[in-house]
Amino acid sequence: MKYILLMSGSKAGVDSYLAWTPQDRDAHMAILHKINRELTESGEFIATQGLTGPSEAKLVRGEKNGLPVTDGVFPEAKEFLLGFWIVDVATPERAYAIAGKISAAPGPNGAPTNMPIEVRQFASYSK
Amino acid sequence: MKYILMMNATKANWEDFAKWTKEDLQRNVAFMRTFSKELKDKGIFVGTEGLGWPNEAKLVRAGKDGQPITDGIFPESKEFLAGYWIIDVESPEEAYRIAARVSAAPGRGGAPGNIPIEVRQVLKGFTDLGI
Repeated sequence: MKYILLMSGSKAGVDSYLAWTPQDRDAHMAILHKINRELTESGEFIATQGLTGPSEAKLVRGEKNGLPVTDGVFPEAKEFLLGFWIVDVATPERAYAIAGKISAAPGPNGAPTNMPIEVRQFASYSK
Repeated sequence: MKYILMMNATKANWEDFAKWTKEDLQRNVAFMRTFSKELKDKGIFVGTEGLGWPNEAKLVRAGKDGQPITDGIFPESKEFLAGYWIIDVESPEEAYRIAARVSAAPGRGGAPGNIPIEVRQVLKGFTDLGI
């Protein structure tokens, strides 16, 4: 069963992340790298990716005169995808357990971020 | 440059989608298949997936004892990821053009859906964030 684990945050959340000390950021990344290694070793790892900041996001709707209609204005409350992990696991519970580990990764001063991670199964009709 | 094109939808949008006729669905799926094939033919396709229904989504937070705390309750206004495409293109403008094509995918009665597509560059490294 393939699941995607989505980490999202508002602009305010991204701004506060950018203010973390380099030490806090390194400690956070070290745990995320360790989780990736563990998932690779268990054969559950498919992919992971971080996204660039929301200030560069564009919303595209249809075309006008053959050009895409783009908009870069988003409500402050909008949640932006920050990054994702794709895992292939035996049960939904295992997907939740992995999401729990990601949520427990350390933030400022080593305290767990407790970031909510949205867990979604891939649709079987996608291919 | 790798970009992710995301199709997001609220619960109301999903419920509406569930009421599409079989003909509308088939037309939309046929468009998506042709679209993916075109991306592959151009050599810019990296990946695509559709996601399961939002009523199956869970929000997970770390518990104190290492056990995940799951929650399945979401605000009506929340946008759920419905599906995405990852493409490898030369410029952001090319990513926007491709997003516009997906946005124009046929909806009810074959009219363009005009669904907004969120276009984001994926990170190569943290230098992309300016940190």
